[in-house]
Amino acid sequence: MDSRPLSRRNFLGLTAGTAAGLALAGCGSSGPSDTGSGGGGGGAAAGAATYWFLTGPPGEQIRQGSVDRFNQTNPEAQIKATTFQNDAYKTKIKTAIGAGQAPTIIWGWGGGGLRSYVQASQVEDLTSWFAENAAVKDRLFPSSFGAATIDGKIYAMPAETVQPIVLYWNKKVFEKVGAEPPQSWGDIMSLVPKFNDAGVAPISLGGQSRWTNMMWLEFLFDRIGGTEVFQAVFDGEKGAWSNPAAIEGLTKAQELIKANGFVKGFSSITADSNADQALLYTGKAAMMLHGTWTYGSMSQEGGDFVSGGNLGYMNFPGIEGGKGDLSSTVGNPGQYLSISSKATPEEKETAKKFFSTAVLSDAEVKEWTDAGAVPIVKGTDSKLSSSKDAEFLTFVYDTASNAKVFAQSWDQALSPTAAEKLLDNIAKLFQLSISPQQFASSMNQVIGQ
Amino acid sequence: MATTLRAGARQAAGGQKRRRRGRGARRPNWLGGAAGWLWLLIVIVPIYWILITSFKTQSNYFMMNPLAPPAEPTLDNYRFVIEADFARYFINSVIVTLGAIVPAVLVSFMAAYAIVRAGDLWLLRSVNALFLMGLAIPLQAAIIPVYLIIIRLHLYDTLLAIILPSIAFAIPLSVLVLSNFIRDVPKELFDSMRVDGASEWATLWHLAFPLTRPALVTVSIYNGLAIWNGFLLPLILTQSPNQRTLPLALWTFQGQYSVNVPAVLASVVLTTLPILVLYVIGRRQLLSGLTAGFSK
Amino acid sequence: MALPALLFFVAFGVVPLLGVLLLSFTSWDGIGVIRPAGFDSWRAVLTDPGLPHALWVTFVVMALSWAVQTPLSLLLGVFLAGHQRYRELLAVLFFIPLLLSSAAIAITYKALLDPNFGLGAGLHLPLLTQDWLGEARLAMGVIIFVVSWQYIPFHTLIYQGAVRQIPRSMYEAAQLDGAGRVRMFFRITLPQLKYTIITSSTLMVVGSLVFFDLIFVLTEGGPGDATRVLALDMYKRGFQANLMGQASAIAVILVLVGLTLALLLRRIGGGGSSASQLEGV
Repeated sequence: MDSRPLSRRNFLGLTAGTAAGLALAGCGSSGPSDTGSGGGGGGAAAGAATYWFLTGPPGEQIRQGSVDRFNQTNPEAQIKATTFQNDAYKTKIKTAIGAGQAPTIIWGWGGGGLRSYVQASQVEDLTSWFAENAAVKDRLFPSSFGAATIDGKIYAMPAETVQPIVLYWNKKVFEKVGAEPPQSWGDIMSLVPKFNDAGVAPISLGGQSRWTNMMWLEFLFDRIGGTEVFQAVFDGEKGAWSNPAAIEGLTKAQELIKANGFVKGFSSITADSNADQALLYTGKAAMMLHGTWTYGSMSQEGGDFVSGGNLGYMNFPGIEGGKGDLSSTVGNPGQYLSISSKATPEEKETAKKFFSTAVLSDAEVKEWTDAGAVPIVKGTDSKLSSSKDAEFLTFVYDTASNAKVFAQSWDQALSPTAAEKLLDNIAKLFQLSISPQQFASSMNQVIGQ
Repeated sequence: MATTLRAGARQAAGGQKRRRRGRGARRPNWLGGAAGWLWLLIVIVPIYWILITSFKTQSNYFMMNPLAPPAEPTLDNYRFVIEADFARYFINSVIVTLGAIVPAVLVSFMAAYAIVRAGDLWLLRSVNALFLMGLAIPLQAAIIPVYLIIIRLHLYDTLLAIILPSIAFAIPLSVLVLSNFIRDVPKELFDSMRVDGASEWATLWHLAFPLTRPALVTVSIYNGLAIWNGFLLPLILTQSPNQRTLPLALWTFQGQYSVNVPAVLASVVLTTLPILVLYVIGRRQLLSGLTAGFSK
Repeated sequence: MALPALLFFVAFGVVPLLGVLLLSFTSWDGIGVIRPAGFDSWRAVLTDPGLPHALWVTFVVMALSWAVQTPLSLLLGVFLAGHQRYRELLAVLFFIPLLLSSAAIAITYKALLDPNFGLGAGLHLPLLTQDWLGEARLAMGVIIFVVSWQYIPFHTLIYQGAVRQIPRSMYEAAQLDGAGRVRMFFRITLPQLKYTIITSSTLMVVGSLVFFDLIFVLTEGGPGDATRVLALDMYKRGFQANLMGQASAIAVILVLVGLTLALLLRRIGGGGSSASQLEGV
């Protein structure tokens, strides 16, 4: 009994020392720690690069396919791929980069997220590489480079597919009610009571996801005041959200909600369960504004809805008295691959080789079109006509390439901090719990952040 | 004192035997019964839904009534899950859970004992306060510093990376519950052990351990389930598919824009089934563990 | 003897906590350089009207889930401790919700509550096809319900074990005195369960503070911020809005709240006394 207090005192000192030591070691650094090899765990041979991307069909298999093809032709410097689910990936990539454990090739959405990487000096400047490899750059859609360019320099390789937002409609439901597809905002508003009276929801919406609500605002702003309205926000102009065109867009959205334009209970529906798409293809809703990626899932899950020709699609109509160009569109101009600046020179070389030889190779392009998506490669329209989804793919291709401006989705274009605030406010706006003016003043506070 | 203990034990045992014929049979407990059956309904419906949906395919799952059994049940989802390396994830989960629970509970038990037995020693009182402070440390906040520490210790992407912090986070609550329980053990019992010349360690194992069984079981279950279903630690602290645990397996079926709900549910069923079997087998032990008493 | 626990806890609990405390005095986006920022993050957090709101929501969730779970678990625990037919089967079935992960439960309820494809639509019951997750009050109710659904089995188990420990002699003596079932419940069962109630309540209350997975998947804090508990607010600030400094400040607040609650509960439970409940039997 007597020896214990003494050893306890010693122990206390030991603990304090350990704690202090660990604290200093673990948290005293003033920046992301560099633990030697910059590429995430696993790279065996020098130059072996690592690549993280998302799970889920069809992208996962197609990306893996390109990696496998590359590894076959490059036995000396292979790429090791690891996959993650969407939300998990977003958390994981941030913690990995922040701790100096980033993979060599970082998959991303460009825009504000990419900007945050650039500001932290975590990604390679690829401008000169693209200048040297003009062939790689020129075969891609020019509009896809917008989201990869930060302050005039290119920090990512555009890849994969273009995904504009389109207005879908259910032809059978329209026939039943005897309505024509809307040619303007006014048409949409007048269609609302028609469908409600027929017991069909005018518009399907997965409101809980918030970015789905955002798509409506994106088009309203654009059609009313042109792309300059949001561009001002993006450029950090003070008070940009109070622009009369912006306020009008917000007001129009609330008008639509008050008129019961959206399906009842839209705030409970999330987009990722595909419940919103199901509303359209089961005939419970007449229209839906969504990304072109939903075409694939609707074909698969909707029975003969798509194959039977019941799916209508168009670019968002204009609004009476609006200044926006009707060809402009909004969405994902591409997906983006960046190279970690903390990777070794050999790993970076491997990555660049991957970019120039395997990304969007002809084989990969074919796989995308077979999956019902349009890759961002110029001149694929000829190939599209032989696909079983030719009509839709050609429509997407034309929309994307003819768009006066292909703006990036707001939540990707803005910094994560501002984006989060934006989505929060959008949720409240659609709940009718804040007014357009309140929305604008709240968002004005985070401009430029 | 010792005789009192033995007499109490005999009485408790006798009481158990007599209870069989006892309370329940005398007058049916209508309120309890009604509540029980209502609760059963509430419990069953979602579980039923999980089961039948796991046999549907993603394409027709929206087209049918959610409560209707599948017209053409399919085992595809289960096949997907098993093919997606289910066995490996399962083994990892078992290793992590057992590897964390056993040390956590043991270590917490020892600490709880020390805290209760030390009475007024300021040192142990402050240790206790320290543990209390750890009760509400949100994992999401501490994860970044934990991540950094794990990297420094070169444990990143190993199962140990999940086990060690899991033990640490299980400690505060376990110590709290266990110390409450140990506090309830009559002082006289401890004194009698001391009088018999037993060391603290012997008292710990031969007296406190058996008596604290209910709390030990409770704490093991609570922490065990939390670790078995824990998602954040494996996500951040491991990376390669070989080190993944079951909760991460759920996401194999979650794509960039949509979730394959039936497949996810099949994965859920397969994850839950083993523990359910364990529970059915071990129920008797569980309940007797929970009812070890020390009535006088 | 407390040494090993202490070591583990210090290494992976206290040190990260200190780390979090340090981080709260910085401004960091999680990716770049950690910039010391004095009280900036604290000021931003404390002046944000979102904070008192999140505290309120957290409190409501905590109080309501306690108020729902405790009586139900008590009743069920007492019920299951008795001897009914099918008790074995019931006990097994009742236990299943506890075995499911929060994510699984959230996905299930999300689907069941879908106004168009869920339970209400399936049973053609308009009452069940509300905008469950889209209206503030309903969403809160749903959260409480689902949390209870998940955790009542656990607390039932605790109470079941505790009820069994109550010596028969007490009930027999009361019956001889002519006490009815209700009297016996309130006069004998409840008082004997005092410490169990405290333990179970502590687990419930403190657990609900850092409880997060379920709410995140079910409502993501919505509609608006009606169900944005403190832990969720912290996660969103840190991992979605890239404001790690602020998130760390909220984490510190969470720890302080938890500590206060734990101490309070101990005080109520008469912590420190070594008196056994069974004295005088």
